Amino acid sequence: MLTKRQNLKEVMTGGNPDRFVNQYEFLEIIMEMPLGVEFRYGETWKDQWGITWQWPEGQLGQFPVHDDEHIVIKDITKWREQVTVPPIPMDAASWAAAKEHADRIDRNEMYVAPFYAPGIFEQCHHLMGIENALMALYEEPEAMKDLIDAIVERELDFAKAVVEHVKPDAMFHHDDWGSQINSFLSPEMFEEFYLPAYKKVYSYYKENGVELIVHHSDSFAANLVPFMIDMGIDIWQGVMNTNDIPKLIKEYGGKITFMGGLHSGQIDFPEWTPEIAAEFVEETCKTNGKHYFIPCLTSGLPMSSFEGVYDAVTKEIDRMSKELF
Amino acid sequence: MSKVAEIQEMVAKGKTKLIAGLVQEALDGGSQPKEILDAMIESMGVVGDKFSAGEIFVPEMLIAAKAMSKGVDVLKPLLAGDASTSLGTCVIGTVAGDLHDIGKNLVSMMLESAGFTMIDLGVDVPANKFVEVAKENNAVIVAASGLLTTTMPALKETSLALKDAGFTVIVGGAPVTQAYATEIKADGYAPDAGSAVTKAKELVK
Repeated sequence: MLTKRQNLKEVMTGGNPDRFVNQYEFLEIIMEMPLGVEFRYGETWKDQWGITWQWPEGQLGQFPVHDDEHIVIKDITKWREQVTVPPIPMDAASWAAAKEHADRIDRNEMYVAPFYAPGIFEQCHHLMGIENALMALYEEPEAMKDLIDAIVERELDFAKAVVEHVKPDAMFHHDDWGSQINSFLSPEMFEEFYLPAYKKVYSYYKENGVELIVHHSDSFAANLVPFMIDMGIDIWQGVMNTNDIPKLIKEYGGKITFMGGLHSGQIDFPEWTPEIAAEFVEETCKTNGKHYFIPCLTSGLPMSSFEGVYDAVTKEIDRMSKELF
Repeated sequence: MSKVAEIQEMVAKGKTKLIAGLVQEALDGGSQPKEILDAMIESMGVVGDKFSAGEIFVPEMLIAAKAMSKGVDVLKPLLAGDASTSLGTCVIGTVAGDLHDIGKNLVSMMLESAGFTMIDLGVDVPANKFVEVAKENNAVIVAASGLLTTTMPALKETSLALKDAGFTVIVGGAPVTQAYATEIKADGYAPDAGSAVTKAKELVK
């Protein structure tokens, strides 16, 4: 039996995997990052950037508050006066918990993958509201590029620290780039604003020992895949069925691997049942096959919103491995 | 190219800084406010269709809507009291518990561009608030959205309360389907902002 890492390699290279890579099994995600990212159920709070967040009780996640009173960037041309970029702590004490977690992991079996969120696009719209961010790309492109540069510089500081303290062999990086049916930006606009930014960040990781870039975007982004490959993404996690995954595998398999196909909204919801999970897992495994594909819920962490769903999906993927390998 | 045709093109291209001046030039040249407004509405119809077809993306739609809004600002004083320029009042919001507003905001802008008078209640709106504001403003249609599976019960409650009060309801959001819209007795469902305009206009005919 192949190790988790060996099996992943076989899937990614079109070799001879002996089973499906089962969701996040190959990634040990290190959440103890000194990023200032918080998940505070049922609360309202302000983060290091000054962004106000709300997570209503009974709901699936948090959301930035973008009314006139709370929005951080009120005028993109004055963003330097309105935003204080929070520094990344570089000292060993701030990284001790992440390092300790990473040191416990058998890297022959698992990839040590620090968690990074939000991504460059999301950070822009968290600061100013998505409509303002998207219109600013047209109306004030130079100011947007300056803001993006500042976000990239902060992430490069983070990259330097994470390489020094954790020595990751993978990165698990979030940035949602679209809705379920299309990317937010045209490919041309994405290429102009966000491709260069991501190239800087991901190439730094690659040049400093990070073997795998796993990027989460649970959206449509089929039209951005060539850019994903160009910027160095190895695995696109969160790929939804609306992307026509078999077509993507045929076109780009070998250059990038697609991880998803199991829409969390259809499986991980209040009235879920093991039968629903089984049906979707069987369909996705049979449709997308054994190479360049990892069956996984589209959610951006190895967990589910409703108790038992993640485990039920894992169990069904094991069943499909037995049936199809 | 006539000035009105130029306005149409500049709306579609989202030339937000040029529109006010062009509308004023058209007025000075003798064009009627209603004629200019109709031209801009037509232009936004094309923008909505292109968005639904995936030919343009969210930023293009947003700046087109913003451009139109700048043009309407110039026309407003001249159109005041002219009932023929409005398709009626539409109350819009995301349902209780849901903070996701990009879809709602896009739909609101597109409906406004199509000629509805919009009252945007924002996010996390209880069902009784929708009903209260719709009554106060004699709304011809109420649009409600929810992005999370956990807020689908709130969407149902909102739709049923509005139907009980006699309003026409249109719903949308990522987990919403035509089947669900029918189940919760909504009059219409739209998968995206462009289609929402077509559906809303059809429902208020």
